[in-house]
Amino acid sequence: MLANGSEVETVLSIRDLAVTYGSGKSALTAVEHVNFDIHKGETFSLVGESGSGKSTIAKAVLGINPTSSGSINFEGTKINGKLPQKLRHSIDRKIQMIFQDPAASLNERATVDYIISEGLYNYHLFDSEEDRENKVRKMMEEVGLLPEQLYRYPHEFSGGQRQRIGIARALIMQPDLVVADEPISALDMSIRAQVLNLLKKFQQEAGITYLFIAHDLSVVRYISDRIAVIRRGRIVEVAETEELFTHPIHPYTQALLSAVPVPDPKLAQHKKLIVYDPKIHHYENDKPSLVEILPGHFVYCNKEEEAKYRSELAAVAN
Amino acid sequence: MADVPEESKSGNNMTDDQLTAADFQRVDLDSLATEKIDTPKYSYWGSVAKTFFSNKVTIAMLAILIVMLGMSFIQPLFSGYSLTDVGKINDLAARYQWPSAKYWFGTDADGKSLFDAIWAGARTSISIGVISTVIVTVIGVVVGAIWGVSKKIDRVMLEVYNVITNIPVLLIVIVMSYTLGNGFWNLVFAMTVTSWLGTAYSIRVYVMMYRDREYNTASRTLGTPTLRIVTRNILPYLTSVIVTQVSLSLPSFISYEVFLSFVGVGLSQNTPSLGRLINQYQTFMTSYPYLFWFPVIALALITISLYIVGQNLADASDPRTHM
Repeated sequence: MLANGSEVETVLSIRDLAVTYGSGKSALTAVEHVNFDIHKGETFSLVGESGSGKSTIAKAVLGINPTSSGSINFEGTKINGKLPQKLRHSIDRKIQMIFQDPAASLNERATVDYIISEGLYNYHLFDSEEDRENKVRKMMEEVGLLPEQLYRYPHEFSGGQRQRIGIARALIMQPDLVVADEPISALDMSIRAQVLNLLKKFQQEAGITYLFIAHDLSVVRYISDRIAVIRRGRIVEVAETEELFTHPIHPYTQALLSAVPVPDPKLAQHKKLIVYDPKIHHYENDKPSLVEILPGHFVYCNKEEEAKYRSELAAVAN
Repeated sequence: MADVPEESKSGNNMTDDQLTAADFQRVDLDSLATEKIDTPKYSYWGSVAKTFFSNKVTIAMLAILIVMLGMSFIQPLFSGYSLTDVGKINDLAARYQWPSAKYWFGTDADGKSLFDAIWAGARTSISIGVISTVIVTVIGVVVGAIWGVSKKIDRVMLEVYNVITNIPVLLIVIVMSYTLGNGFWNLVFAMTVTSWLGTAYSIRVYVMMYRDREYNTASRTLGTPTLRIVTRNILPYLTSVIVTQVSLSLPSFISYEVFLSFVGVGLSQNTPSLGRLINQYQTFMTSYPYLFWFPVIALALITISLYIVGQNLADASDPRTHM
């Protein structure tokens, strides 16, 4: 990470990515001009409202959605577009996903044993049947499940337990990058922290990199190192977590942060709600791009806006 | 208003025997205990059996079915019934005997026991039904599963399906019977050659329904090949659909055979079948009604018990019925 001064190793690098659904007249460009890097061992969050293209980016990274232009580089290898089958297979192991809905993402007709071992079978990541079972049991203990639940079916578990099964099956693959697509939004408030802490624990132990997708800003602030704000398929601001929360520059980010509920009625009464109006941008002649306005802090703006933001920053600094 | 003193009274009772700190005991939160699941171990086929046998009608029908199947496949081994045996054809006294202690179902126009004839006929009819159903189900499920996951195959198969299902099955069977000639295996071939398409199509629809569910995406991100996704993730969900298909097609193939034998195509001259018996004795409905009605009752018992047992098995194999 940047904070401890060691050199930064980029795990995932996305350049000018665009994903289009459908073709011809019904074509819909879900995301466009997406640029960001994810460093090794960090948690990078994508935040944005529903339909902003967060999950589309996640699925493009996993190779589920075909990309229409741009490139996704994973550990130095281009992983979008047509890939040799062997390369695709080996990359599939290194990028794993944790799904939003633990009820829909587990096979109801398979035992926990099979669900967690599924990836092990596909890559023969075990020496013997005994070794496989030991690995599964160890993983279950690590995520806080009881080994005697090995032969049970997903519908017998609670939501939090099911999500931990989903985490176990992704992490038993020893992935380098884990895409967590709103892993806690389907869970009860009381068990959200449990699952988040579990994810953090694995990151500290195994140095896993997370691409975390969420719309809950308090969660994002808790777990992420860096945040990208996405609106209508375009990344509008990328910065380190505290930097973004204390000095949001893009008006959309400011509006988004102002909408976070304050758990104190007295403070909440005086809270100023900022409403974002996309009409304030005049991009007809002066095309916008992602500009590094402060070190590590990127904002999507055109030349005119860049000058305005810079003068505002200078005023704050003085 | 009358309730008010009641309430205050009970409130007083509460203060009389006051709770003290000594009444409470500190219980620490055992996080391991909260992980324990308090449900009995679930086994899919065990629950299917439990649901299936909980219905009394099903058990009665299963008993009838077992008796009918047992008689059809065991009795002909001992009776030595042969359709071509005409030993008693000139023995007028042996012909058209009403049911008696000796001949339970009476004797037919050739002086042979109708009891023997019915079981020999039922054996052929049931064999045709079972063999045809197995063929249609196996081909239908395999083709339907491939059809459902491959978009390329889907485009071709859909056209094939549209063309072939527009031709009446009966027409195909009759034309096939005339061109291939009559016979047991020819009839099985004629009945199954196109009807697997129907099974395959319905399996395709279900496979497409389950194909894009999130747990299949999850399997794909774990590197699971498509074949295993189909066999482990999709087909187990279709058990009840497949059982329903089987329970519908078994009796329908039997009645198909009966109908074809009735109109005179299908089986060769020396093969006994229920359809042939019904066809042969329909004219005796008023003079010797037992000759017509016994084969019809046997057929009805077989198809109805098969249908009800099959339907209940299909219901039981749907996990939503497992309470």
